[in-house]
Amino acid sequence: MRRIFEHPILKRETARTVRFYFEGRELEALEGETVAAALIANGIDVFGETEHARPRGFFCAIGKCSSCLMVVDGEPNVRVCITPVKEGMKVQRQFGRSDVSW
Amino acid sequence: MVRTQLLVVGGGPAGLCGAIEASKRGVETLIVDEGVELGGQLVKQTHKFFGHEGFYASVRGFEIAKKLKDQLNEHVKIMLQTTVTGIYEDVVVLYDRQNDVTLEVQADYILLATGASERFIQFENNHLPGVYGAGAVQTLMNQFMVLPGKRFLMVGSGNIGLIVSYQLLQAGAEVAAIVEIADKVGGYDVHLRKVKRFGIPILLRHTIKKALGQERVTGAVVVQVDENFQPIEGTEKEFAVDAICIATGLVPSVELAAMANVKIEYVPELGGFVPYRDQNMRTNVEHVFIAGDLAGIEEATTAMIEGRIAGLTIAQLIKEIDLSKEIESLQKELIEFRSGPFSEKVRRGLAKFFPQRVVEYSREPQTDTGPIGKLRPVIECYENIPCNPCQTSCPTGAIEVPKNINSLPRIDYEKCTGCGICVSKCPGLAIFMVQENVEPGFDLVIVPYEMLPLPEKGERVIALDRDGKYVCEAQVIKIVRFPHKTNLVHLKVPAGFAAQVRNFRVKKRESVFVCKCEEVTLEEIEKAIDLGFTDYEELRRYLRVGMGMCGGRTCRASVLSILSRRLGKSPEELLKGHFRPPVMPTKFESILRGESNEN
Ligand code: SF4
Ligand code: SF4
Ligand code: FES
Repeated sequence: MRRIFEHPILKRETARTVRFYFEGRELEALEGETVAAALIANGIDVFGETEHARPRGFFCAIGKCSSCLMVVDGEPNVRVCITPVKEGMKVQRQFGRSDVSW
Repeated sequence: MVRTQLLVVGGGPAGLCGAIEASKRGVETLIVDEGVELGGQLVKQTHKFFGHEGFYASVRGFEIAKKLKDQLNEHVKIMLQTTVTGIYEDVVVLYDRQNDVTLEVQADYILLATGASERFIQFENNHLPGVYGAGAVQTLMNQFMVLPGKRFLMVGSGNIGLIVSYQLLQAGAEVAAIVEIADKVGGYDVHLRKVKRFGIPILLRHTIKKALGQERVTGAVVVQVDENFQPIEGTEKEFAVDAICIATGLVPSVELAAMANVKIEYVPELGGFVPYRDQNMRTNVEHVFIAGDLAGIEEATTAMIEGRIAGLTIAQLIKEIDLSKEIESLQKELIEFRSGPFSEKVRRGLAKFFPQRVVEYSREPQTDTGPIGKLRPVIECYENIPCNPCQTSCPTGAIEVPKNINSLPRIDYEKCTGCGICVSKCPGLAIFMVQENVEPGFDLVIVPYEMLPLPEKGERVIALDRDGKYVCEAQVIKIVRFPHKTNLVHLKVPAGFAAQVRNFRVKKRESVFVCKCEEVTLEEIEKAIDLGFTDYEELRRYLRVGMGMCGGRTCRASVLSILSRRLGKSPEELLKGHFRPPVMPTKFESILRGESNEN
C-alpha cells in the first residue's frame, strides 16, 4: 500500500508477485525486491527491537549500517535491506542480538 | 580458491569504470558487489547528470548504470550479493550470501571502490523507525518504487538533500521543510532552485533536535542554532511528519583498504579518514588501487573518471602496454572538473597527496535576457559548476560555455532559432523560454516539467514564481513530451508576467467529495479501503476525512456507507468511530477567558 504506481520518470516493470510470511502473516512482495522494501511496502516499519527494547527500522538500505537485522528462515542477523525476498520466506523481527547460528 | 588478475570490490560507477577499462584490454576481472544489482548508487539516481556528454551529462543516473553494464565484456565475472569480508596478505575472503559459502580469491591487483556510508547525526530518538538516510529513501523510492512515508523532513541541504527532496515530490510525497545547520545551502544553486519553485521551505541555521514517536516517527522538532551551531532555546518548531531523511554527508568505507595495509589519513575535506593514493589512484600498497567515494567524497562523474584511470593503470601494468596517453587525458579531465569553486574543498584535501592544478574559467553571467518579443531561452544558471549540455545540445551553436566547462553559459540571441532543445536538455532545469506579447495581452512562458500529473492542453493552472509563490492564473497551450521525460509545458500568462512565472501547479480536477472540509474524495476513500483501511477511525487518520471544521457531521454517515458497500458488511457490523469534544471548533482564547472568569 505504499507502492508508487505512477511516476514521471520511472516505469514500473511488471514483476511476478511472491508470497512471504512476516511473523506468520502472509504478505505479498514483488519478485526482485529486497525483504526490507517488501516490508515497508506492506506498512511494516519496525524490524525488531534492540537489546534494550527500542524499536529498530532500517536506515541505509545498502547493507552498511546493520540496523535492519532480522531473522529470515530461522537465521538471525540477516541484513534484509540487501536480501531479495523469496517465495515462502519466513521473516521475523529480531530482538536484541538473537541466537547466534554457527 | 579463485584466481583473477583483477579483483574489483564494489560495482558502482567507479568500480564499473575500472572494470570496463581493464577488461577492454583483456584483463581477467572479477567484480564483487554486496547488492542485488550492479550500478551502486547510480541505480537510484533519477535525475540527469551534470558534466559533459563524454561522461553522460544529461543522462539519468539509472540509465548511465545500464550503459556502463553494457560495456563489460567476456573477461568480466560478476558476483552479486557477495561481501568481501577480509583482505589478508596472500588472499581475499568473500562471503557469497546466495550460496552461504565463503570463498578465497587470489588477485594480482585489487581495485577498491567500496564507496561510502551515510553520516549519522545525533539527536533525540534518532533510532526510531522512520529516520532514514537520504540514500535509503532513494533506494526505496527509485529502485523499488516504495515510498516509506507521506510527509518528510529533510535534514541537510547538500546536493543529496536537494535532489532527494525533489525526487520525493516526483514520487508523490510532501517535503515539509529542508533544514540546514549552516547559513547557506550546501548544494548546487540549480538544484536549490528546483525545490524552491515548488515552495519547499528552506530553514538555514536550523537543525533537528528530536524525532517524535514511540514505535515510529510521527513528527520532528527543529531548532535554530547560533554561530557556534548551538541550539537556541525557545526557537523550537514542531513538524508533523512521518519520515525524517538524514542527508548530512557521507563517510568513506575504508575498512578493506586499511586491512590491505593502505595508509589511512585524516583529511576532513575528503570526508574524514581516506586512503592514501597518487594521481593514478594507486595506494602505497603496490597492487592496491582505489577509486570513487572511498577515495574522497565527490560525485559520480569524478568517480567514473577515477575508476577509468585506475583500470587503465592496472591494464598497463598487467598487459605491459602503453596507455599513458589515455591516462593523461583523463587526468586532464579531472583537473578541469575540479577547477570550479565547488571543488575547492576537494582540491585542498587532495593537495595533501599531490599538487593540484586548476584551469581558468569565466565567471561572467549573462546579463541581457534577449530581445523582447522574440521566442527565446532565458538561462538562469548562475553558478560555476562543471556542466555544459546546454552548449553541446544547441543545434545552432547559440550557447557557449566559454573557456572551460565550469564557466557560466552565455547565449547569442542572434543565432538562436527558439527550438527549445536546450531547455529540455539542461540537467539543472535552469533554462526557460519566454516570449512577450505572444498574442495581445498575453505572454508565453515555457517551463521544463518533470512532475505528475501533467496538465492537459487548454487546462487552467496556477502559475508560480521562483519561490513557488502564486503569481497568476495561466493556461496550458501546448505540451511537448520528450523521451527522456523532461517535458516542456507552454503556459500562456497575462502580459507582463513572462519574467516572473517559472513553475505552475495543476488545479485539483473535479471530483466527487465525501468530506468537503478536508477535501477528501470518494475515489480516495475507495482506494484507501482497497489498500486495507477498514474502519472509520483508520480512514480518519489516513485521509483526515471527518477531521475538518464540521466534525464529521457531513461525512461520517457517507464514509460508513461507503465502507459497508465496499466491504460487504452491514452497517451494524461497522465501528462507527469515536465522538470527541469539542462539538464545534472552540478558540483557545475563549477557553482561557472562561478560566480567568472563575478567579
Ligand atoms: S532554443 Fe534551440 S537554438 Fe536557441 S539556444 Fe536553445 S537549443 Fe539553441
Ligand atoms: S544551463 Fe547549461 S551549464 Fe547550467 S545547468 Fe543547464 S546545461 Fe548545465
Ligand atoms: S538498513 Fe543499513 S544495513 Fe540494512
